[in-house]
Amino acid sequence: MKKNIYIYVCVALLGFTPLLSSCSGYLDNVPKGQKIPTSLTDFEALLLSEYGVLCEDVTQAVILLNDNYVSPTYLSYYPLWHANYFWDNTANRVTLNKSDESTYYVGYGAISTCNLVLENTASATNATDLQRAVVAAQARIIRAMNYFMLVNYYSKTYNASTASTDGGVPLITSAQVGASYTQPSVKGIYDFILDDIAKALPDLPDKAATILQANKATGYAFAARVYLQMSDYTNALAYANKALTINNSLFDWNAYYVQYQQTLDNPTKYQTIPSPMGYTNVENYNFRNGPSSYSTSEKTIRVDRGAKFEDGDTQFKCRWKLRTVGDQTYYYANLSGRFNYGGMTTTEVYLIKAECLARSGSVSDAMSVLNTVRKTRILASKYQDLTAATVPEAIDYIRRTKDNALILTIVPFCDNRRYNLETAYARTLTKTENGTNYSLAPDSYMWTMPFPQGAIENHGNGTITQNVDK
Amino acid sequence: MKHEFSSSKSNKDNGLKSIFCLVVFFFFLASPLLLYAQNAKINVSVENASLKQLFAIIERQTKYTFSYRDVEIDSKESVTLKVNKQTVATVLRDVLTSRRLQYTMVGNKILITPRQEKMIMRQETPKKRVIGKVKGTIYESDGQPLIGATIREEGTGVGTATDVNGVFSLSIDKEYTTLLISYIGKKDVRQRVKIGANVKVVLEDDVQNLKDVVVTGYQTISKERATGSFTKITTDQLEQKRYSNLSTMLEGEIAGYNASSNLIRGTTTMNGITNPLYVIDGFPIESTRYDQYGRLEESVPNLNLEDIESITVLKDAAAASIYGARAANGVVVIVTKKAKKNKISVSFSSSLTLHPYYFYKGRLASSSDMIDLEKEWASSNPNLQGANAATYAQSILDNNAYTTQGIKAILNYYAGNTTKNVSDATLANLASQGYHYYDDVAKYAKRDALYQQYNLAFGKASDQNNFMGSVSYRNNKFNDKYSKDNSIGFDLKNSLDMTSWLKFDIGTYTYFKNATNQTFNAMSPGFTYMPYDRLVNDDGSYYTSTAASRLSKSTMSIINSNGLYNMDITPLDEIGRNLNNSRDFINRVYGKLGITFAPFLKYDLMCQYEYAYDKSNTLYDKNSYYVRNMVNSYATAGMSGTVYNIPYGNIYYRENQTSKAFTFRQQLNFDRTFAEKHNVTALFGQEVRQTKLDYDNNTLYNYDPDMLSFSLVNAAILANTYGLLGGGSFGQNNIAYNRYTDDRFISFYGNAAYSYDDKYMITGSIRWDRSNLWGTNSKYQKKPIWSFGAGWNIDRESFFKVSWVNRLKLRFSYGIGGNIAKNAAPYMTASYSQNAGVNALQGYIVGRPNPNLRWEKTATTNIGVDFSLFNNRLNGTVEYYNKMGTDLLANTMGVPTEGFGYNTYMINNGKMRNRGVEMTLSGNIIHSRNFDFNATATYSYNKNKVVYVNVKAPVYYLQLDYPSAYPIVGNPYASVYAYKWAGLNNKGLPQVYDGSGQATVDDPQTLDAIVYAGTTEPLTNASLNLMLRYKSFDFSCLWVYRGGHKLRNTDLPMLSNTYNSALMGYAASFAPVNKAITNRWRQAGDELKTNVPRALFPENSDYNSNSSTIYGYADINVIDASNLRLANLSLSYCLPSQLLHKIYLSNAKLQFNVENALTIAKSKAAKYMVGGYTSPNYVWGLSFEF
Repeated sequence: MKKNIYIYVCVALLGFTPLLSSCSGYLDNVPKGQKIPTSLTDFEALLLSEYGVLCEDVTQAVILLNDNYVSPTYLSYYPLWHANYFWDNTANRVTLNKSDESTYYVGYGAISTCNLVLENTASATNATDLQRAVVAAQARIIRAMNYFMLVNYYSKTYNASTASTDGGVPLITSAQVGASYTQPSVKGIYDFILDDIAKALPDLPDKAATILQANKATGYAFAARVYLQMSDYTNALAYANKALTINNSLFDWNAYYVQYQQTLDNPTKYQTIPSPMGYTNVENYNFRNGPSSYSTSEKTIRVDRGAKFEDGDTQFKCRWKLRTVGDQTYYYANLSGRFNYGGMTTTEVYLIKAECLARSGSVSDAMSVLNTVRKTRILASKYQDLTAATVPEAIDYIRRTKDNALILTIVPFCDNRRYNLETAYARTLTKTENGTNYSLAPDSYMWTMPFPQGAIENHGNGTITQNVDK
Repeated sequence: MKHEFSSSKSNKDNGLKSIFCLVVFFFFLASPLLLYAQNAKINVSVENASLKQLFAIIERQTKYTFSYRDVEIDSKESVTLKVNKQTVATVLRDVLTSRRLQYTMVGNKILITPRQEKMIMRQETPKKRVIGKVKGTIYESDGQPLIGATIREEGTGVGTATDVNGVFSLSIDKEYTTLLISYIGKKDVRQRVKIGANVKVVLEDDVQNLKDVVVTGYQTISKERATGSFTKITTDQLEQKRYSNLSTMLEGEIAGYNASSNLIRGTTTMNGITNPLYVIDGFPIESTRYDQYGRLEESVPNLNLEDIESITVLKDAAAASIYGARAANGVVVIVTKKAKKNKISVSFSSSLTLHPYYFYKGRLASSSDMIDLEKEWASSNPNLQGANAATYAQSILDNNAYTTQGIKAILNYYAGNTTKNVSDATLANLASQGYHYYDDVAKYAKRDALYQQYNLAFGKASDQNNFMGSVSYRNNKFNDKYSKDNSIGFDLKNSLDMTSWLKFDIGTYTYFKNATNQTFNAMSPGFTYMPYDRLVNDDGSYYTSTAASRLSKSTMSIINSNGLYNMDITPLDEIGRNLNNSRDFINRVYGKLGITFAPFLKYDLMCQYEYAYDKSNTLYDKNSYYVRNMVNSYATAGMSGTVYNIPYGNIYYRENQTSKAFTFRQQLNFDRTFAEKHNVTALFGQEVRQTKLDYDNNTLYNYDPDMLSFSLVNAAILANTYGLLGGGSFGQNNIAYNRYTDDRFISFYGNAAYSYDDKYMITGSIRWDRSNLWGTNSKYQKKPIWSFGAGWNIDRESFFKVSWVNRLKLRFSYGIGGNIAKNAAPYMTASYSQNAGVNALQGYIVGRPNPNLRWEKTATTNIGVDFSLFNNRLNGTVEYYNKMGTDLLANTMGVPTEGFGYNTYMINNGKMRNRGVEMTLSGNIIHSRNFDFNATATYSYNKNKVVYVNVKAPVYYLQLDYPSAYPIVGNPYASVYAYKWAGLNNKGLPQVYDGSGQATVDDPQTLDAIVYAGTTEPLTNASLNLMLRYKSFDFSCLWVYRGGHKLRNTDLPMLSNTYNSALMGYAASFAPVNKAITNRWRQAGDELKTNVPRALFPENSDYNSNSSTIYGYADINVIDASNLRLANLSLSYCLPSQLLHKIYLSNAKLQFNVENALTIAKSKAAKYMVGGYTSPNYVWGLSFEF
């Protein structure tokens, strides 16, 4: 009896041993819900993260331009906002910039992802070389767009005579932890942007898989924006034309206004209407968000800013409506949904083309291009073709339409900075609030934003020098 | 990488093979025979030794073990003796006779008892007629007959004793009677017998009187030989309390345990698991679950609490490191009860707990205080002064910028809608309402909670088999009117000695729980209420907060013109809707096989499988505000009317979670004494553990619970819908959500102890853990976790001659424990989801690559002294420890320029230290026949310090709001940070000091303005448990003290600053507020008298949006949280046994407890914040044993 049990137990133990040793891969399994990106699809998807890669937050630029309305309680809460909103020369924005770091953090977050994709496209699996080239080119365009935004926010405006000595922004090209970086000049950053564009253009597809990814036209349109900012009107015009050859559709704001006129014209009912400025707008070359990566409504704008729109501007009527609550009056935002604040659109490229033509002296051609745009957004009853006698007059008209059409994006800020370099176009911003006059001179240091404290203090493997004293 | 893995695999195989070979080898060689030393001769040479020391010497030289009661031998005079090669019997006879003691040898046991000159018991002198006899045999637990056990007939005093064969015979005069069988060193047994019966009774060792043992889960070792820090709670200690949950059972009993944070010896990890590991009957049980948001939560395991026989808490490395990578937080080892031998035992207990509803209104401003504030708002509002006052007032009313009744009454007057008299009358009426809303909540929305609990345990044991079963049923009705739960737990276990060398155990625990949870809380009803608001109108109808009273005219017109659903809220209708129902099921089953190859060599093999299935659902009623609001949020204007992208109907949310865990362990145990003085115990084993967790939830729209039908919604459209009312952020989680984990561990461990002469002990343990969490290429996994310990029983030394010291032991241990952070990986990981907007895959980086990821290590040094004094009347332990955590996963700030400015990521570079002293003192102060007085005190002091981290809060507010994410070197890990208070300025605005020491009314917004304000983890945890027995009454009270810690007072006398969408910014909000607001600054000069800021509103030019923030963060609002609680008061009464036997009970007890009877804190605010204003629990309990 006893012997039998011994045998049973031995058999039982023998049974366990193979069971355990068969678990050779027992510890090999990888947790679910996450993975190590390996295939090209894995890396390509990272570029489609709207939250991480496709946002552009230019809050302080908009505030400095006094384009949006900021309530007194906000101003009392955020000293930096107050300094920029009231063009306060006494404020030290360098030390105030402690909690307004989104522009920098989100910008470099996107750059890091692009760097990661660029580092890995060559070794990514399940892809042809052609597919790899496309993804790399798209990463380059997003990276260049972020550098363009950063250098126009934190550095002096590109000025051919001083660009090689003006301080730029940190240039980082690796996604490794502890990667080193440099802070080249403004010219250095522009050279890098142009290099990325040049390397990307041949590989960009005619049609991208989604509107979030750059196609060839996006590359041309963005190149036009960069060259315009460098005052290289020849190249800007050439690329604007290339982009418009591929897509020259304009959104019909007049029709959209008519569609929602009943709601929009009701002065006491603040009902939102869907934003037509989302993914599917015909003007989009590509789509990038503003500060928020989700559906939202636009910023309210100041009453005096509303007055700067042309009479009968249906884009304005669709977007804003006058409202008073208690002692505050402002233009309330009507649209809700998504807004292509960060991507390239045909409107911008038309207006780049118009300015380039005007700069080259073809004033009537320029006005014709401008009127093409105006026709889609000025009510027929108010619409008249604009003509200009001089280049500056033409540019003033073009500038008005561009500032209004592209309000709340980085573009009006960049344009303002660019014009500030030219005595013919430089303007002093003024406003009167509660009986006090405020002004911002075109040569004010305030046109350059200080880097956030968090980036200066936690600088990693490199050093950052502020481009502005306060 | 490849190479590394393949070599480790072959190592593992080799390990397995060698275990197997060992097992087989011992099977055929070992002889299961024991050789007892018979007539052993001994050599003794002692001078002024205690009897105990003498017995110990004899024990070491022979196979005999002694049983005695300390009280009976400790008082005897010391022994001086020198003998050579004498028999044990001779020596004992010589020594004991003069000391009025006698000995009895049974097998290899020697029982020492006071010498009985004559048997005092009356032998068979029946006064009544004898109608028969009862015979029986009494055995020891190892099956040896017990000589000299006394047998008495309960209630008559008639008795006898067993003979050399353990046999007795007793004449009785009735058909049934109860025998009381007792023997020194054994637990008494009551046995009901029928006339003519021949009973067999086994007397168990009374462990309390014999050597104490500690159970580590891997082995059971004698307390004397242990070198680690063990604290044990026995049934007796547990019986004074209600068994509500595990942590209250440990509270006040274990020095170094903090029940409020469930921490043993402080925080040892920054990002890993902080709660201790729970082990039930040898198996680790981890109750990890996903919550709705995909976060992992750890909770204490489920079991029938009444079944707990003892709880041992392992605190230092020598005790706990055998648990390896999960042991740094300490281990709680639970042993459940076994059946008593040769006896059917049935016990029943029940308790009823009343927890009255109580809301502490005293701290809140009353209706009239709030009306005062609202009047102050109006009088200080410049917009209400000028010509535009009426327009302004109407605009605020139209936009519902302020929704309270008081403000509206005022504005209606300014807008010209009512007269001054009407407005004033309304305000006066509101001011007279006292705390109407809270009274209504108590009356209509809450109830007194009632918790019922019933436990039935039954068991039977024979020499070969031990069966135990229990059922525990609970029924709880909570304070929320619709919240309740029912649960039942079954525990069955059986232990079978198949042969003398093969033992088989099987057990299972099954638990069902059915709960209903109210999801609507009348205290946060979805609208802002004031104390003067109500839940029931004067006419008895339910109060409704209408949409028009909260939403702007514009919004109302959107609702009306688009025909959206009504947005009214009627709290008393909502309260019974949208109830969450959950059902939990847990099953654990285990089997153990024990093989004794030889008395010194045993092999154990054990397996446990755990399965848990939790499901819950909420049917959101289509009439509920939740559904109406949800449907409206996604309504858009279409070409032909309103489009409801979510169809109107019930919304059904379901959640399922399955947890499976498997543990396999095989272990070889060795225990042998060589040359009579050298004892070696060792174990070596292997463990495999796997836990799988599978979670999913889904939501069905327009659900018909009868038809089980639902509507398909277009999630892709919803994700891009921004509704008419300006809301909506529909995501994948609104449809379904899945989570899955599969954690696997393979461990090898060993433990060895050597003791010489039972005086000197050294122990060591080592363990390797490998797991899949760390990928396949971690060189760090090869580093073992180990410990070393040493002990010295000073009282056994011949030179130690302090008669009043019964026991004195010195212990030292050093070793390493580990910890796990489940959410880190050594490689770069990304997570993917579908971008609904463009219908493409999107991904984001979850973790940056961290190739050096490894186990956290905590090295613990422990020095302890155990002592027993004055005939064991005073027992105590004093311990000092130093726990140094290294390689702790600490947050490191992502570099913004590298693209990780908002992210911290975790690397193994944190260092943190916990140092402390613990003391347990237990005194049997008065001990007499009718009266006992015992006191037990525990004291622990823990100081935590962050020694190294490489992180700095990137923004000041993160330091204030998430201090644990940004620990500061030199401060405790659990810290609270604040701005330094600079008093009120001459306008009544709060001020703090900025970084340069200047008082400012603005938020300084710099890290250098932030000061350390204390730790939130108590430095001192102490308890005092007093137990008083008078005859059959037991009274006890447990005081628990926590001290030296701080907390941020969030119940402030200032209106908070919240976002007001109508005013487009942060504004003071009218809502219930602390009563001290009545002491607020009102005029210049008040700043010298008060720290309560002026009530300022955004309309006033002095208003600063930062005031509320800096006041909240000021160090005056970090308060001392030290508190003393009367945690438990208990009075119990044992019914007299004469009475009980008539109703066939052997034991009955009535009990009354008050839990959380009293809290004493330094201030009212502190008392409120530590929960001192909650009502006590009143517990009535009774228990029977049959």
